[in-house]
Amino acid sequence: MIELKNIQKYFYKGEEREVHALKNINLKIAQGEFSVLTGSSGCGKTTLLNAIGLLDKVSSGEIYLDAKEIAHLSDEQKTNLRLNKMGFVFQAYNLIPVLSVKENIAFIMRLQGYKESDIDERVNELAELLEIKEKLDYLPSLLSGGQQQRVAVARAVATKPKIILADEPTANLDHKNSESLMEMMKQLNEKENITILFASHDDYVVKMAKRVIHLKDGEITEQ
Amino acid sequence: MFYLAIKNILFYKGRSITTFILTYFSATLFIVYVAFMDGSHVSMLHNSLKVYTGSIQIYQKDYRDEGGYDYLIYDNQKIFDILNNTNGIKSYTSRIETFGIASSKTDSSAMMLTGVDFTRESGISELKNALVSGEYESSGNCLYMGSDLTKRLNVHVGDEISFVGNAIDYSFAADIFKVCGTFKTGMYEFDSSSAFLNREYFDSVFYSQNTSSYIVLNVNDLNENDKIAEAIKPKLDSQYRLYTWQELMSAMVEAMEVDSIFGYISMGLFFVVIFFVILIYGFINASSRIKEFGVLKSIGLSNSEVDKLLIYEMLILSLSAIFFATVSGGYLAYYYELNPIVIEGMSELYKDYGIISDSIPTRFSVFTITWNIGLILFLNLLSVIYPIYYIRRFNPIEAMRHV
Repeated sequence: MIELKNIQKYFYKGEEREVHALKNINLKIAQGEFSVLTGSSGCGKTTLLNAIGLLDKVSSGEIYLDAKEIAHLSDEQKTNLRLNKMGFVFQAYNLIPVLSVKENIAFIMRLQGYKESDIDERVNELAELLEIKEKLDYLPSLLSGGQQQRVAVARAVATKPKIILADEPTANLDHKNSESLMEMMKQLNEKENITILFASHDDYVVKMAKRVIHLKDGEITEQ
Repeated sequence: MFYLAIKNILFYKGRSITTFILTYFSATLFIVYVAFMDGSHVSMLHNSLKVYTGSIQIYQKDYRDEGGYDYLIYDNQKIFDILNNTNGIKSYTSRIETFGIASSKTDSSAMMLTGVDFTRESGISELKNALVSGEYESSGNCLYMGSDLTKRLNVHVGDEISFVGNAIDYSFAADIFKVCGTFKTGMYEFDSSSAFLNREYFDSVFYSQNTSSYIVLNVNDLNENDKIAEAIKPKLDSQYRLYTWQELMSAMVEAMEVDSIFGYISMGLFFVVIFFVILIYGFINASSRIKEFGVLKSIGLSNSEVDKLLIYEMLILSLSAIFFATVSGGYLAYYYELNPIVIEGMSELYKDYGIISDSIPTRFSVFTITWNIGLILFLNLLSVIYPIYYIRRFNPIEAMRHV
C-alpha cells in the first residue's frame, strides 16, 4: 500500500546541510498492518512519519501510495490526500480547542461532506468504542490526557482512512491509559482493517505492534 | 468553516472584543463625522442660496459673460407666465443691476446698485433677515446698504450718499440717496459693495421700466431643482439661458469638495491608525494561533480554507460591529438632523464667516452611511491580508512546532 524508495531528508541551516535525518530509506507497508517505527530519540522516526504523512517534504526519493507517487504532488493535492486517505494522531493530541469532543470527531467528516445523520451515527459508534460517550459535549480542555488522545484517535479514524499515522501517541499518557489506547487502536485495526503506523519508543507500543521497524541515525536497521 | 469561525470568535474573546469595539467606534464616529461635515456643507450652500442667489437664475444669453445693458431681459412678464405654469416653484422676482461710484462727504467706493421689489425679494432672499440697522422695506430714494459698504463710505442710517452710474440707454444717471437700512450677510464682498433700492424709484432714475438683469427663483425642494430647471428650459425663448445654483456657485461647490477632501484626509489618518491597530492585533492573534492552523492543515484543511476561516472571522466581527455602528451612528445623524445642536450666540460670533444660524447642521443620508460602512468593511478585510500571507508561509509541521 505504501512504498518508500530511497528517501533522504536533510535539515538545513542557512545554505549548509546541518542534519542528514533520513538516509536512503526503503520501506513497504501493506494494507492492514499494525506497525511501529522505533528507535532512540533523534533517530528520525517522527521525520519519517511526517514524510509519509506528507506533512514535510523529503529532500529526495519517492513515496508511493497504492502505486501512485505522492511525494512530489502540489500542496493542494497533498492536503487533499491527507484529508481523504490519512488520519493523524499526535503526541500533543492537537484537538481543536474551540470545538466540543463531538465536533472534533465530526470535523473531518464534515470537511468530506458526510450527511449529518451518518456523522451522528459514526460519532456515537466511535464514542462508545473509545469510551468517551459521556464526554461528547465537553471542550477538549476539560478532558484528561488519555481522554483527549482517545478523541484524537476517534477523529483520525472517523472517515475510515487508508492509514493512520500516530506520532508518540502514548508519550503523555500513564501506563494504564497507554494500554487502554493501544487496545482500542488494535481493535480498530482489526475491526476496520485500517493500516496503523506508529512512531514510538514506548516499549508497550513496540510490544503490541505486529511489525517493528528499527531506526538508528536516520537508517532502517531492522524490520 | 463559518461555524468554526463563530466558535473561534467566541473562544478568543479578547481579540474579538477589541476588534468589535475598534470597528464599532470608528464606524460610528465616521458616520457622525461625515454627517456633520455634509450637514455643514449643505447648510453653507443653503445659506448662500437663501441669502441672495436663489436656486435658479434666468438671464439673456450673454449677460453673465459680456455684462451691460445690451443683454437685459425686456419681457419679464412672459417669463413670469412660464414660471407661474411650472410646478415646484416657491417664489420668483426680477432684479435690475447697475454699477457706479457711490460717494459720501468723505469717501467714495464702487457700488452695485440693484433695483428690487422688496416684498417679492423677501420670498427669495434672506436680505430682510440680515438687517443690522434701520429698516428693510423702504420707499423713495431710500437705500438698503451692505454694512461693510457703509463703513467704507463712513455713513450711517439717515446719511446721504451720491451715486453716479449709467441709465440703461447708457446716458449718465446720478442721484442723491438716503441710507435707510444696513444689512450683513457674512459674505464680505457682497456686504462691501451692494446696495438695494426699491424698483419703482430705480426705474425712474435709470429708465429701466419693465426690464431686468435677470430673474431669480426658489424651488420648494432643492432636490428637485435640476428637474424643475429641465422643465423650464424648453419653454424659454432661445435668447435666454437658465443657470442652476450649481453653475452659479461653482466656486463654492468646488470649495466644498476641497473641504470634503481635507475632511476625508483627516478622517483617513484616523482610519490608518485604526487599520494598523486592527492589523497588528489581528496579526498577533494569528501568530499566537499558528500551531492551531498547523493542526488544521495537517488534518486536511487547505491554505485557501484557512484563509477563508480568517476572512470569515473578520467578516463576522466587522459586520456585527458595523451593524450596531450603523444603528447608533445613523440614529445620531438622524436625530441631530431633526434636532441640531444649538450653541447660543454662535451666529453672532461667526456672522463674518457666513454663519447665520446658531445650530450645527447635520445631514442624514442613507447613501453616505452606506459608503461609510462599506469603506470600514473594506479596510477591516484588508487588514486580514497580511496575517493570511504570514500563515501561508508555514507548512503543517513548521506551524505545529511554532512557538
